[in-house]
Amino acid sequence: MAKSPKKSKSKLWFLVHSWLALPIWFFVLIVCFTGMLAVVSQEIVWLANPDVRASQPDDTAERLSFQQVLDALHQAEPDMAVRSLSQPDGAHFALNARVTLPDGTTPTLYVNPYTGAIQGKVPDFNFEAFTRALHGWWLVPFTNGYSWGWYLVSLLGLPMLASLVTGLVVYKKFWKGFFKPVRTGHGSRIFWGDLHRLAGVWSIWFIAVISVTGLWFLIQAILADNHITISSEPVVPVIAREQVPQSSDGGPAPRIDLDEAARIAGLAIPGLDISFVSLPATAYSHIDMGGRGWYPLMFQSAAVNPYTRNVDSQFLISDRSALEFVTESMRPLHTGDFGGLPIKLIWFFFGLVLTLMVMSGLLIWTKRTAQATAAALKRSERSPRTRARNTTVEIQP
Amino acid sequence: MSQAQAVPASALKQFWLKWRFHLNILLILIPLGFMPKYFADAKLFRGDAGLGANPISNIQVGPYSLDLAEVRDQPPRADGPAGYFKSFNAALCKACINEVKAVYLRIGKPRSLRAAGTIFFGAPYRMGTNLPIPLRTQPDAQIWITLEGWDGSMHQASVPLAKASPATVAWLEKQGGKP
Repeated sequence: MAKSPKKSKSKLWFLVHSWLALPIWFFVLIVCFTGMLAVVSQEIVWLANPDVRASQPDDTAERLSFQQVLDALHQAEPDMAVRSLSQPDGAHFALNARVTLPDGTTPTLYVNPYTGAIQGKVPDFNFEAFTRALHGWWLVPFTNGYSWGWYLVSLLGLPMLASLVTGLVVYKKFWKGFFKPVRTGHGSRIFWGDLHRLAGVWSIWFIAVISVTGLWFLIQAILADNHITISSEPVVPVIAREQVPQSSDGGPAPRIDLDEAARIAGLAIPGLDISFVSLPATAYSHIDMGGRGWYPLMFQSAAVNPYTRNVDSQFLISDRSALEFVTESMRPLHTGDFGGLPIKLIWFFFGLVLTLMVMSGLLIWTKRTAQATAAALKRSERSPRTRARNTTVEIQP
Repeated sequence: MSQAQAVPASALKQFWLKWRFHLNILLILIPLGFMPKYFADAKLFRGDAGLGANPISNIQVGPYSLDLAEVRDQPPRADGPAGYFKSFNAALCKACINEVKAVYLRIGKPRSLRAAGTIFFGAPYRMGTNLPIPLRTQPDAQIWITLEGWDGSMHQASVPLAKASPATVAWLEKQGGKP
């Protein structure tokens, strides 16, 4: 009898673990699957669409500067307004140029970084945006603050974290399970059970990262919807009226070009990596530019005044509070987009493993837990005290 | 999750046991249902669906002209303590792009250029702004467009709010000027 309360407790944990995702297993499965796809969505598009590739015309070709790209775009389409240029993470990707055409449409163009040639535009069905929207907020539109789909998906962080904890509690000596072979030839229940445990122990870190960062998305939405901000990012004031020169010919006042702005920002902020440039959105707006900092999970940015040549505002890694280091790291830790292709592939692989764990968990459940729960119910109706004995639940086969 | 154990044998339990896995179907129906809306919004944001709802073309503002439209045919949206906002798009006439420095929008006539209202952001072919809608706004109010020229000139014109955004006026009438 001395052993029975402990055993009974672990059986309870086991039932909790078994039931965590079940009534919504298909939802959990699709969220895991679309998350896995979203991690490598950019690469999938790169494979599928040659327009997205940064093809070097010959070995000696050098990458153009942002102003050179802008000049090439203006030459190709003189009436087109360019709003921003950005280099996706990875030199094999073409530049993205957000533009507005005279007919009022606002496509994003793929631009060759060596020649400035317009290679194509983002198709109407934007695979990257779609997988992210499906994974991130279940396509529920944002109308008043955060979408309720966002809450629905991010709430899954709770059962996911709970399955990790309960899974480790019921898997006795899980630290010995890293190299346990998966048994074949003993029926599919044993096979899927072994696979579920093996995948589980190798994924401990990943499930922890994804569920904690997923819960951060929940907290983020709660904070934003209650208008609480923890950001120390400065609000850049508009350029003062007197700093914008009046022109004599009635045309726009001259502004410095993008390369000059990048040079000024680079002088003011040593080590500033510039992977995106936003052109002024009004006559009183700055040229905004920035890129990844030395801490690859965060970005640095600077706002250059195109009339006075001053860096009017900057937001660097050193400007972040300790709390922001934690909170700003959450998103890249979830999406795995902070270390190029290798990190993305690791996130993709473990995303696949996680998807398989939901699948295998379901298969095990259909073969075992249904009977175990029925048996437990029967026993509890008969006598709650004897529940510990006579079990049909096998914690470890 | 272990409600199956907690709930006593009752109609509720039977219902839960029978229908719990149908939650999956309900959850899958959500993105399927919102998919047309998602693609319509994507089209709207790409500018492929035109300037917006209830467009007013060729509003003459001094020597210039522009088109104005609300982004959605909907009442204003709340943004916490900042109040209610209504998004508008505008497009400048092609010939005046080079001469117009800034475009502003405001409910009621601005007293000076410094109080001209919210500025339009973006390329002149398609600019956007968020217009604050005070709750005390009268349903017969006018929205004023102010153009600022690079030569320092200022030009103004107005359109009835009821024409630019009927949904906003309907919302204001329902609110009755009270918060």
